[in-house]
Amino acid sequence: MSRICIDVGGTFTDCLVLDSDGNLHQFKAPTTYPDPSVGFMNAVEKAATAYQQSLEEFLGDVELLIHGTTLATNTLINQNGAKTGMITTKGFRDILEIRRGYKNVRESMYNVFVPPYDPLIPRFLRTEVEERVLFNGEVHTELNEGDVKAAALRLKDEGVESLVVCFLHSYANSDHEKRAAEIAQEILDDVYVATSHEILPVWREWERFSTAAVSAYIGPAVKRYLRALETRINEAGFKGKLLLMLSDGLVETIDYCIPRVVYLINSGPAAAPTGARSLGQEAGFDNLISFDMGGTSIDIGHIQKGEVPTTSDAWVQDERVAIKMVDVHTAGAGGGSIAWIDSLGLLRVGPQSAGSEPGPACYDKGGVEPTVTDADLVLGYVPADFFLGGEIPLNAERAEEAVATRIAEPLGMSTPEAAQAILTTVAAFMADQITEVSTRRGYDLRDMAIVAGGGAGPVHVPFIAEQLAIPNVVIPSVAATYSAFGMFAMDIGRNYARSHIMRAENIDLDIVRRLYKEMESEASGGFAELQVAAKDGVYSRTAELRYIGQFHEVEVDVPSGSLTTKNLEEVVENFHQRHEALYTFNMRWRGVEFLNFRVRATMPKAPFNLSSVAEGGPDASAALKRQRQCWFGGKQVDTPIYDGQKLLSGNQIVGPAIIEETTTTVVIPPRFSCTVDHRRNYLLTQKLPNSKT
Amino acid sequence: MSARNIDPITLSTTWHAFQSIAKEMRHVIDRTAQSYLIAQLHDMAAGIWDARARTVAVPEGPTSMFLSQHFSVEYILDKFGDDLHPGDVIVTNDPYHGQCNHLPDWGFFRPIFYKGELIFVALTRGHQMDTGGSFPGGYFPNGYDIHAEGLIIPPIKCFDRGKERADIFELLWGNVRWPEGVRIDNYALMAALQVCENRILAMLEKYGRDVILDCVDEMQDRMERSVRDGISKMPDGTYYGESATDDDGTTLDEQVWVRCEATIKGDELILDFSKSDKQRKGFVNCVYASTYSRAVAGSFLFFDPALAPFHNAGSMRPITLIAPEGSVCNAQYPATVGGSPVNVGTQVLEATVSALSKAMPEKAIASWGRRRGHYLAGTDPRTGEGYVQTTTDADGGSGAVWGFDGAEGAMGMSGLGSIQRGSVEEVETRYPWRTVRYHFVPDLSGAGRWRGGSGMLWEVENRGSDVSVATGSSDGDLTQPPGAAGGEPGPLCKMYVRHGEEVTPARTHRMVEVKTDEILGKLSGGGGGVGDPAERDPEKVLTDVVNEYITVEMARETYRVVIDLETRSIDWEQTQALRQ
Repeated sequence: MSRICIDVGGTFTDCLVLDSDGNLHQFKAPTTYPDPSVGFMNAVEKAATAYQQSLEEFLGDVELLIHGTTLATNTLINQNGAKTGMITTKGFRDILEIRRGYKNVRESMYNVFVPPYDPLIPRFLRTEVEERVLFNGEVHTELNEGDVKAAALRLKDEGVESLVVCFLHSYANSDHEKRAAEIAQEILDDVYVATSHEILPVWREWERFSTAAVSAYIGPAVKRYLRALETRINEAGFKGKLLLMLSDGLVETIDYCIPRVVYLINSGPAAAPTGARSLGQEAGFDNLISFDMGGTSIDIGHIQKGEVPTTSDAWVQDERVAIKMVDVHTAGAGGGSIAWIDSLGLLRVGPQSAGSEPGPACYDKGGVEPTVTDADLVLGYVPADFFLGGEIPLNAERAEEAVATRIAEPLGMSTPEAAQAILTTVAAFMADQITEVSTRRGYDLRDMAIVAGGGAGPVHVPFIAEQLAIPNVVIPSVAATYSAFGMFAMDIGRNYARSHIMRAENIDLDIVRRLYKEMESEASGGFAELQVAAKDGVYSRTAELRYIGQFHEVEVDVPSGSLTTKNLEEVVENFHQRHEALYTFNMRWRGVEFLNFRVRATMPKAPFNLSSVAEGGPDASAALKRQRQCWFGGKQVDTPIYDGQKLLSGNQIVGPAIIEETTTTVVIPPRFSCTVDHRRNYLLTQKLPNSKT
Repeated sequence: MSARNIDPITLSTTWHAFQSIAKEMRHVIDRTAQSYLIAQLHDMAAGIWDARARTVAVPEGPTSMFLSQHFSVEYILDKFGDDLHPGDVIVTNDPYHGQCNHLPDWGFFRPIFYKGELIFVALTRGHQMDTGGSFPGGYFPNGYDIHAEGLIIPPIKCFDRGKERADIFELLWGNVRWPEGVRIDNYALMAALQVCENRILAMLEKYGRDVILDCVDEMQDRMERSVRDGISKMPDGTYYGESATDDDGTTLDEQVWVRCEATIKGDELILDFSKSDKQRKGFVNCVYASTYSRAVAGSFLFFDPALAPFHNAGSMRPITLIAPEGSVCNAQYPATVGGSPVNVGTQVLEATVSALSKAMPEKAIASWGRRRGHYLAGTDPRTGEGYVQTTTDADGGSGAVWGFDGAEGAMGMSGLGSIQRGSVEEVETRYPWRTVRYHFVPDLSGAGRWRGGSGMLWEVENRGSDVSVATGSSDGDLTQPPGAAGGEPGPLCKMYVRHGEEVTPARTHRMVEVKTDEILGKLSGGGGGVGDPAERDPEKVLTDVVNEYITVEMARETYRVVIDLETRSIDWEQTQALRQ
């Protein structure tokens, strides 16, 4: 039996296979539009071919398939979601637009020259119905079903494709939301209907409504895709378990996700920091930048002292998404980013991307705009005959023509100069995005290592490291399927939570025991769903506490087994200590209250090996494949090209040089040297101008 | 200007580090405080000054709380001289000895020493849930003098060399209502100072004292150069702006005016408030530092937006503020100042922005919907405990700027968006009040080529004991936030108490009774407009009508666009005729 992870990015679909021998193999296929499930199957088919099996044989042997998809994020970012309507509590239709009174989310308060927020659901599609639930779940005004029918009919007339039902205090009592959704669904036929309590059952209406509105907006597109995919793989003989990668770093089933597709925001990128941590730590670095560059976007994570940070304070563009997410910063730049000249005559790269259709000009599929990949080809960095192992033949003439006519001529430069300018521009942009998550939070990049993945990452990362004076770069052997690797490196499991507010001084031990018991038996049921024996599951308990009156909680560990009063006293003591560690003080004189009880249930990771390579000493000449003319620093240099598959542990290469792999290309510029480790990860080190070595 | 040898990466890392330390300080307060106003609405601030009282980092936060706080730091350095030590914390709220804003804003200062030398001073400030005085919470409109407004705390040490001074805190907490709550919030503010010290010491250790201080100098010089550049590009001349508050809460219905003459001369900007009204008996007076912070904040809006996150002492060097003693913009002891963060503080900002909008119509900025706050105190029948409550939810939207409409929902010009709105669900859980409605109202925004953010209708039902409401942090029943460059001002506001069908009007700067089960309602005007409404893009007018931000009538009368709502289309012929 094998396990596979498939990460569908904006340009490429990555497939990583862990076979029954414990070896990892990676495959890549172009992402397809409008139906990404086609590209998904192409990638699986490639893997099947490599294992000399039919698609049916191969898929029939897969016990677990973990899938990350960029579709949710892209639908929101590209604003091509559904025409969405809202049904909400009478008197409150503007909550979504009033927000918390923000003038501008990203800009400083001293900048007032910013466009006002444009809500996902315009005011005329936000309808009100009579109903009211109070803070304690009590019904103040019954749901007026006639109002709901009228609202649904009006929205039907407006032609909405999706609907979100958002009522006040629905986290405390969801009856009205459920009933209204039911009535509306009947009237609106097959329109996608989401409810706020199902998506984020916690208090504070704007955060909940906003998250739910995002979910409804992207819902129909994501649902269509997931159902198509399910059908396709089942027809192709898949009998195992399909799990989707969620934004919080855990996984869930398709049926769980469809009513709450917002949990698929950042699915894929959420896995990368875990991969970076595992790779970086192996190379001896604890403070890391995780950098993943694909065809259309870059994803950046910052890992300090080995911690992969999560946040519930996330915004995606101008939308507040209040679910817990792995903290990853995304920006529009990749191999497919188009270079263009703006109205001031300045060279710009992105955010528009040529994607995989038509793709860069050098793909020769009708693209005429010069992209970053075209510039890579012009400079000799990527091989025309060995892109994706030769699967996508690149047409150097098309690349040169695009760079020459669109950039070089208007700017009065030579073609290689223009290509160089494109790379410098995109590297500067990416460097700036990295400072966004590090320097601008006060961390010095010069203390860190950068772990780079994605198909385009290993080509560009050295130039970014140069600009930021980051001394060490780690390029993993699984660079090309970086996020998919993260999916193997992380825990698989689920989070469970219960809210119950109790003061510590008169806490009811029986209630606490019951809450944990409930969650743990629910979790063992969940394991059955994931086809894991409950006895193999690992349960970790936590509780969230605060001083009475505070607005935020602190999470502390709770021991397993049957709890005693003494256990709870220790939990409270741990809370005091944790509060002090986080905020420099505690308040033992003040009462403490328990709010939330949580269980995180995880299943053991399957053991896996990265193929180890033999020791070979520093001399890498046995792997030398050929020489090629490449441009570095404005000069053409006869550059040695190494075959990645033949490099051995301990080999050392001094730049300029290039390593060709089937799924990626590593560029080692002058001033960089590269050491190959026993797992064929490449450790690049640069000589900094002021360094002593 | 400088020959400092600093590598650009260290400069940029330290520059950003100061900003993020200040943000982290805010985060610590947010996470640990218990007052709704501090932790949720963010009426608090954090910042860093150097040992010469020069502003190093000014992150997000209400303008009144720190753009002028170098005056406070100066006062403290001067008062304590050599008697400052590692581990000291100084607390003050005194407008007349320490240049604080008004009494509820308690500031905590911590001198930061490195190897025995004073290098920085950190400050956190937050509006306490109570500071004693005639009425809970602050903003009582009719105090006899400053002493009636609450406990005055001149700069004193509340921590001495790391040791808490129990006697001092006993005195402070013994003079406020809800002492346990105030105690938590005080610790939250002081914890943020400790975090700041930890971060700054780590930075000094890493880069060395000289490098950090060079970076601070360099950052200030660079900001000064950039701001001077900005001012040089403005046309020389003197420009006038004015704005009024409804009254001073003591002499009723007599408006109080703030008048600003902004003079641009080469690379210098002079903001002169000499023509403003004399200081008042009532609570609207600003001390000099209060006026300074608002006027300087207003001028920052006209500089290159790329500079916005980085303003520091350097930015302030080219700006001179004139406000004669005894004016409402430079009040003298024992004048009351309780209302000044809202009025006339807001008017100082509005008058400054109005004047500079005339100098630079292509950067014109309209004023925002007026603050519509209040403080009330009562008993929560669910617990039997007393509570004090305030709100920002009733305010209308922000003003337009040249090129963009105002933001719907943004509130409180004096916070420029850094003070936030609450949450209906949170309020109902914490307090015995039920929100009845909370939504935009058509036609209640200042018209313009770019219109102001919409006005608001907000109603809440009292489910607790009878309460008295101090409407001191409300304004705009009689006076309007100015529009700019031909745009209309933000509309007037109304307030009322509803008992069944019976509606009793209520007014700003008064005490209002709201009994159990009665409803307090506020109809609040939105922001001012920029540019001639008859030049607004008709398609935008159509969208506004469809979305019910404005009515068909207003589209026709004010924007001169004729709309058929049935077909959601513009009658271009009639529109052209009207617009000729």
